Amino acid sequence: MIQNLPELLINFFDYIFFGFAMAAISSYIILAIISAFETVNYMKKNSFVNYTEILSSSISPSISIIAPAYNESLNIVENVRSLLSNHYVNYDVIIINDGSKDDSLEKLIAAYDLVKVDYLINNQIETKPLRKGVFKSTNPAFEKLIVVDKENGGKADALNLGLNISTNKYVACIDVDCLLLEDSLQKMIKPFLEATDHKVIAAGGVIRIANSCIIKDGKLLEINFPKNNIVRGQILEYLRAFLLGRMAWSKLNGLLVISGAFGLFDKKIALEVGGYDTKTVGEDMEIIVRMRRHMEEKKEKYRVAYIPDPLCWTEAPDNYKIFISQRNRWTRGTIETLKKHRKIGFNPKYNSLGTLSYPYWFLFERLAPIVEILGLFYFSILIITNNVVWSYAILFLILAYLFTVIFSIITIITEELTYHQYTKKGMGLQLIKTAFTEPILNHPFILYAALKGNFDYYFNKSIKWGEMTRKGMSNI
Amino acid sequence: MLDLLQNSIDAFNNSHPLIRFCIYLSLLFIATIALLLVYLKNLRDRLRIKGRIEATYQKKYESDLIEYLYAGDDKNINAEQQKIVDYLKQCGENRLKRKLIIATLLKLKNEISGETADAIQNLYYKTGFINSATSKLKSKKWDSVARAIRELTLFEIKEAHDEIIQLINHPKKEVRNEIQKYLVQLFRFDGLEFLNVLENPLSELDQIQLLEILNKFNNMEVPDMNNWLRSTNNSVISFTLKLAKIYNQYGAKDEIIALFNHPNTEIRIEAINVVNHLGIFEAVEILKEDYFTRTLEEQIAFFKMMEEMSMPDDVSFIREHIQHDNFHIRISVMKIMNLITVDSDNTFKVNTVTPDFTIDKDLTIAS
Repeated sequence: MIQNLPELLINFFDYIFFGFAMAAISSYIILAIISAFETVNYMKKNSFVNYTEILSSSISPSISIIAPAYNESLNIVENVRSLLSNHYVNYDVIIINDGSKDDSLEKLIAAYDLVKVDYLINNQIETKPLRKGVFKSTNPAFEKLIVVDKENGGKADALNLGLNISTNKYVACIDVDCLLLEDSLQKMIKPFLEATDHKVIAAGGVIRIANSCIIKDGKLLEINFPKNNIVRGQILEYLRAFLLGRMAWSKLNGLLVISGAFGLFDKKIALEVGGYDTKTVGEDMEIIVRMRRHMEEKKEKYRVAYIPDPLCWTEAPDNYKIFISQRNRWTRGTIETLKKHRKIGFNPKYNSLGTLSYPYWFLFERLAPIVEILGLFYFSILIITNNVVWSYAILFLILAYLFTVIFSIITIITEELTYHQYTKKGMGLQLIKTAFTEPILNHPFILYAALKGNFDYYFNKSIKWGEMTRKGMSNI
Repeated sequence: MLDLLQNSIDAFNNSHPLIRFCIYLSLLFIATIALLLVYLKNLRDRLRIKGRIEATYQKKYESDLIEYLYAGDDKNINAEQQKIVDYLKQCGENRLKRKLIIATLLKLKNEISGETADAIQNLYYKTGFINSATSKLKSKKWDSVARAIRELTLFEIKEAHDEIIQLINHPKKEVRNEIQKYLVQLFRFDGLEFLNVLENPLSELDQIQLLEILNKFNNMEVPDMNNWLRSTNNSVISFTLKLAKIYNQYGAKDEIIALFNHPNTEIRIEAINVVNHLGIFEAVEILKEDYFTRTLEEQIAFFKMMEEMSMPDDVSFIREHIQHDNFHIRISVMKIMNLITVDSDNTFKVNTVTPDFTIDKDLTIAS
């Protein structure tokens, strides 16, 4: 028995890693199939919607766009102009200057003729205090704009102040540097207005990468494919996640995350759960999980909706340092959220949230990088102990690589059949090239970032957000 | 070279079945990638030329239609016109071409008026497009049915009414929505007859769309709404309350007041908002009587109403709520007290101190 122990252990680990890989691949295939059906269904249904009727109606519900800004002086004026140019009728824009050390506020005051006003704030959620106060424009052209200057408290704290200030039924929480398309609000509000037998508590849109695109006066004029390989890889990664992943989770009513870059919320529910958690770096995921948990515990029928249309364009990290820092934060956010809401996990009381979404996120988002690292470690031991059957190893590696490439090409085809954004000649070839290079150029860094995220979460608690140096989309 | 190939084949034949399976799978994956790439290339090429083809055909159909319109009388068409009709009929058998012809017909119909517009309408009959649209109403595919109804709406085909109304409780909401829009677009308020028989809920989006259509027409006689306000379908009541508000239906006040006791909270709140809009003062005392048994949302709506409708007699009732836990009620109380007591008691604002909000000077409420 003891003599056979090494062999037994090797067999045991072989089965574990093989089983995990098969489960992951199966889940991706199943999600992709569900996504395909749901996308076709969505496109068919959407062809009957006249968005102009929603946007021009005076009875369309009111929305507040809440955009926290920290040291965004470089582009703040153009970004706000973009937010103010939305075609929706019934909305306002609340910019929260979260203790910026630069001249963001002064620039806004000058550009939009702002003056300090007295403002009643319903402090339903505790936040950091105001610094210079609340500002509104004297120019009627900017009557939708409210600028709030507060002490620095982080993104979640700034969003919470926005929730306190908003007087509207719905709030769109966005990153101020994001470019929202003009019809984004009416597309996002649609699921809330369509629901009759359930409540839509939040909706998320697709985030697209704007690096190298031409943007003028807050409008996306030309979509280009960047030359930078890290950005290219992220474009494909985002397409995969949004077109082949979230669409399926939306169908299964299992969405656990809405991108912090752009999400629309039912303000009443967001306030009922206490707003954003200021103690986590993954506040965008955490609030969705908390809102869902709240609805499950109230035993009310609800949905978290997802809009597959490309509505929001953002700048992605274009160097490995910032890329790793961003993914590190995502990893810590996931760990924090799953840990905080561990009661939900594998708990049938929470329906699909407890039995499907949470286990999936735990296994294939939380544990996947750890399993991958353990796999590599195990492989190294096998090499050292001369226990590798190289023909198997190489073939499995080739199969995994080819499967990833197939999956990426299917993503590109889905993009072509649906939104067809990368229309210029040559872009197809660039996308295909990226499908072949991304697993080599981007994946190792994602894995490293996830590992570092785990390390930092357990051993380096002082790390919080990390810096994102913006080049500015309008200057790209 | 041949030796290497032979060695490889031998190695393959002598290998473990799992290795052989993996090799087969790899080859399958490579073949799949090759096929997907060919398909992707083809797809991108097709998408790129699709726009050009559509533009070419659209131009062609537009010139054909203009030629038809100016070639002679619409009632007694000549040979040249008949040739165009036959050509359009033939093209209409192709789905894409039919779509382009319909789009061109509608474009011209919207751009011109009078006899020429009637001629386009008649052409819709002569080409037989109306028959294909009405026959699609029986289709098993819900999207074909919805598309047909939309087309009949755009060409204002009132004759299809009887056939369409039968589908009003269609299981697909997209079809129901197209029917509702057909009825209201073509028959205005009379089209709202479907509210009497509607079994499914009317979503907020449906309601917005219908109100937007009605908003386009002026000088219409608003029908009696009392029946709809008594509907067992809550969404019908909700929609009727919006109608009552927009069209100032003061005559429906008794039915609206009766909704203060409706089992659905949302409807009770909407009824209070409508009463506020219509300025039905008798509602104030009714709501005051059972104010404390109402939900917080109703109480907020009540105080919002009182901002517009309170009288000096209400001061003692309102003053009782000055320290209310709810922010919105406190704001309303302050606004009302400010309005009512501004002449006699201007010290109100100075005396009000509550811990969790601040007032510096005047109130500024975000719009």
